[in-house]
Amino acid sequence: MKKAATLLTLCLIAMPLFGQKKAPAPPAIGSDVASKTLKNGMKVIVWPDHDIPNVAMFVWYRVGSRNEYAGITGLSHFFEHMMFNGAKKYGAGEFDGVMEANGGRNNAYTNQNVTVYQNWFPRTALELIFDLEADRMQHLAFDEKVIESERGVVYSERRSGVDNNNNGLLYEQVQAAAFLAHPYHIPVIGWPSDIESWKHEDLVRFFKTYYAPNNATMIVVGDVTPAEVFKLAETWIEPIPAQPPPDPIRTKEPEQLGERRVVVEKDAQVPLIQMAYHSGAATDPDNDALDLLLTILSRGESSRLYRRLVAEERVALDVSMFRATAFDPSLTWLTATVLAGIDPARVEKIIDEEMAKVISDGVTEAELQKATNIAAANFWRSMRTISGKAQSLGNYETFYGDYSRLFDQPALYDAVTREEIQKVAAKIFRKTNRTVGTLVPKQVAAAQETN
Amino acid sequence: MNRMKVALAALLLFAAGHASAETPVTAKLADVKLPRYEQVRLPNGLTLLLMERHDVPLIAFHGRLRGGALADPQGKEGVGAIAAELIQKGSGKRNAQQFAEAVDSVGGQLSVSAGREATTISAEFMAKDRGLMLELLSDILRRPSLPKEEFEKVSQREIESIRAAKDGDPRNLVPRYFNAFLFASHPYGRAASESSLGTIAHEDVANYVRDQFGADRAIFAFVGAFDAKSFAAEVRKTFGDWKKASGALAAAGDTKPATGRRVLLVDKPDATQTYFSIGNVGMARTDSDRVLADVANIAFGGRFTSMLNTELRIKSGLSYGASSSLVRETKPGTVSINSYTKTETTGKALDLALEVLGRLRSDGLDATTLASVQRYAVGQFPPTLETGGQLAARLTELSFYGLDRSDVETYASKIQSAEREGVQRVINRLYPAEENLTFVLVGNAAEIREVAKKYGEVTEIKITDPRFAP
Repeated sequence: MKKAATLLTLCLIAMPLFGQKKAPAPPAIGSDVASKTLKNGMKVIVWPDHDIPNVAMFVWYRVGSRNEYAGITGLSHFFEHMMFNGAKKYGAGEFDGVMEANGGRNNAYTNQNVTVYQNWFPRTALELIFDLEADRMQHLAFDEKVIESERGVVYSERRSGVDNNNNGLLYEQVQAAAFLAHPYHIPVIGWPSDIESWKHEDLVRFFKTYYAPNNATMIVVGDVTPAEVFKLAETWIEPIPAQPPPDPIRTKEPEQLGERRVVVEKDAQVPLIQMAYHSGAATDPDNDALDLLLTILSRGESSRLYRRLVAEERVALDVSMFRATAFDPSLTWLTATVLAGIDPARVEKIIDEEMAKVISDGVTEAELQKATNIAAANFWRSMRTISGKAQSLGNYETFYGDYSRLFDQPALYDAVTREEIQKVAAKIFRKTNRTVGTLVPKQVAAAQETN
Repeated sequence: MNRMKVALAALLLFAAGHASAETPVTAKLADVKLPRYEQVRLPNGLTLLLMERHDVPLIAFHGRLRGGALADPQGKEGVGAIAAELIQKGSGKRNAQQFAEAVDSVGGQLSVSAGREATTISAEFMAKDRGLMLELLSDILRRPSLPKEEFEKVSQREIESIRAAKDGDPRNLVPRYFNAFLFASHPYGRAASESSLGTIAHEDVANYVRDQFGADRAIFAFVGAFDAKSFAAEVRKTFGDWKKASGALAAAGDTKPATGRRVLLVDKPDATQTYFSIGNVGMARTDSDRVLADVANIAFGGRFTSMLNTELRIKSGLSYGASSSLVRETKPGTVSINSYTKTETTGKALDLALEVLGRLRSDGLDATTLASVQRYAVGQFPPTLETGGQLAARLTELSFYGLDRSDVETYASKIQSAEREGVQRVINRLYPAEENLTFVLVGNAAEIREVAKKYGEVTEIKITDPRFAP
């Protein structure tokens, strides 16, 4: 989308020059975002949007399963659950009860890198939400009975997402095999034996280390003014003391020396195939080119892999690719559902052919244009809701250290060249750089055994 | 950007000032006003709704074509679903690949699916591409080429996607079984399955498109960055000469609650958790008690602190989640409790769910819960009408069910004027008594077969059986 990017750039440059002579140009998107860092180190970012009388407040803590080790795998995610289970002023069950009784709703998610708490509420509840967040950031309680009950909840979540879901099961196995050293090999939900055995003191230590204001960022988007939000943050959050910064993750994943393979045998009607390629951290300069390459390979029915695997050779039901956004070098994934009765090796062979082709011949100008147009349209789609804006701001601030990079992103995609895409393809999509996982229906596996 | 003109005065009274645990009960939140939109009916019967919005440079489209799965011939369930896919695989001057290129190359989105009573079309394009968007919509609906080789691919994929779903998270599957088992021979129970899809020929799909697609079945809404007057002229030019549908309009007869208890047990031998739905037939979209039903359902199983989630998750840790849902269409759809628990606690969780249902029916909502639900429902309503796509879908929904803007604009005040007695009356009308319940259990039958018998006469099928009901 050359057009929107140009528009953004023009607005940014043109306004100071011509603003006084003509009718003022419309302000560039994002020009009304304001931020302030509290004395305890927590940054607050505010984007007023008065379309609806509601507010999205997201609190991003820089902690996830990469901060775990054997014995406490899954603890960050379990902790996310415990953050709703009572503090000092608001006891067990009151956080949700009080929020909902005032028209608000919440959720949270944990991944390998971050834990994000999301509140959506009418603006009438703004100060109350600060009160609730401050209470749990400072005074979380850990009731033994609640911890035991919550173990059951989290194990049930694991059963649905992993144990009884073939895609989730294979994903966990491939992820674990792709990393030998770095804690990215730990599944976010945790290994079952750890879910059953982590202790009260593990939680207390985790809270003190990671749930400090200096390890968090607050994003507020909606029917508010920056001044009122900053004032509330000073009242409710600023008195919470900072903590020593958590230890950095020291371990670096050594270079992969050859292709790895994982096979899962399971009751199934359709086989699955997943490939995980090592790729860069969020700030890796190759990522803009990589994102466009993934679009060309796998987004939409005109993409290269969809056409070959699904439309032309009819060996797969679907195919998708995505890159993990992560603090440390992580993975770029390819997942495909294989049609019943088709050997996953056939699917793999076609993928290999397509990867070889893009490495040797690169992409066309039309494909590059398509990918930037898709990126541009998706940028505007992320701007449709206060929730989407809060998610985007938090993502860029947390992983790039600067929310304003969000508004540069369309232009950055626009600047990517075909040569850069070809180069990144050659760098990432090597067999020695990947782990290949297949889920094979048990019946098929048994038949192969007898042969 | 003032897409939703809400009278702010009332809200500002309670803006930041105090942090008591509850804003005053009398806090009267304003009703949401739908922004201005144009509604016209073209001479060929097409209903056109247009709303200008300029916050992002996008245009959202939502369309409904009356018919959907209701128009599937008996025994050939899934014809409408295949048609919805196949019209995107070649139309006008483009073949399947060229069509995909046309959508993707400008970053557009377009999808078609067959719902129970209508085929729905959703699209969103950059505003500058509105001409292309109209051309593509017109091509798929008026000039689909329905190529035979694409038909083979589409029908194979429909079957395979059901198989893949059966290997995936069972939470997505239970509603399909519940619907098929509860409604049985009523058209609402018709479900595309591996076996019905296997009987469908290309000719069936061609007949469906020929008979069911037409201007008089269509409701179109466009919301986004355009000039309503000139865009209306473009839409008229594109669709003004679209013919009416030639076949009879499919309609469903009344749905009636099932009497007695019965259980469908779906065997998934490697399951470590049992996934269940319990319920019956509920209410229609246009029911005059619909707002009171929302109040009751939020309290029962429609939010985190609902009665069901409190008992099955928060207090007992039996499940990651428990909820209740209402499916409301032209006729009453399902009302159901949905949850899951590890195999060993299946009976315990089912008993607890029934106990909560009993309590809802006997005690209703206390005053505190009612007040909480009222604030919750009103507070969470504006974000449901925030995007162009949401507004377009709402406009076609109102038109489809013969409702007007007051359905949206009086929602908050109706929620706020709900009283305990009225809610109690609707609870007893809507939620089934314990003797009239249909159960679906997806799990390891060898482990839960005996438990299942406690709840009614059991019918058992395998998850690999190519259908969703016996």
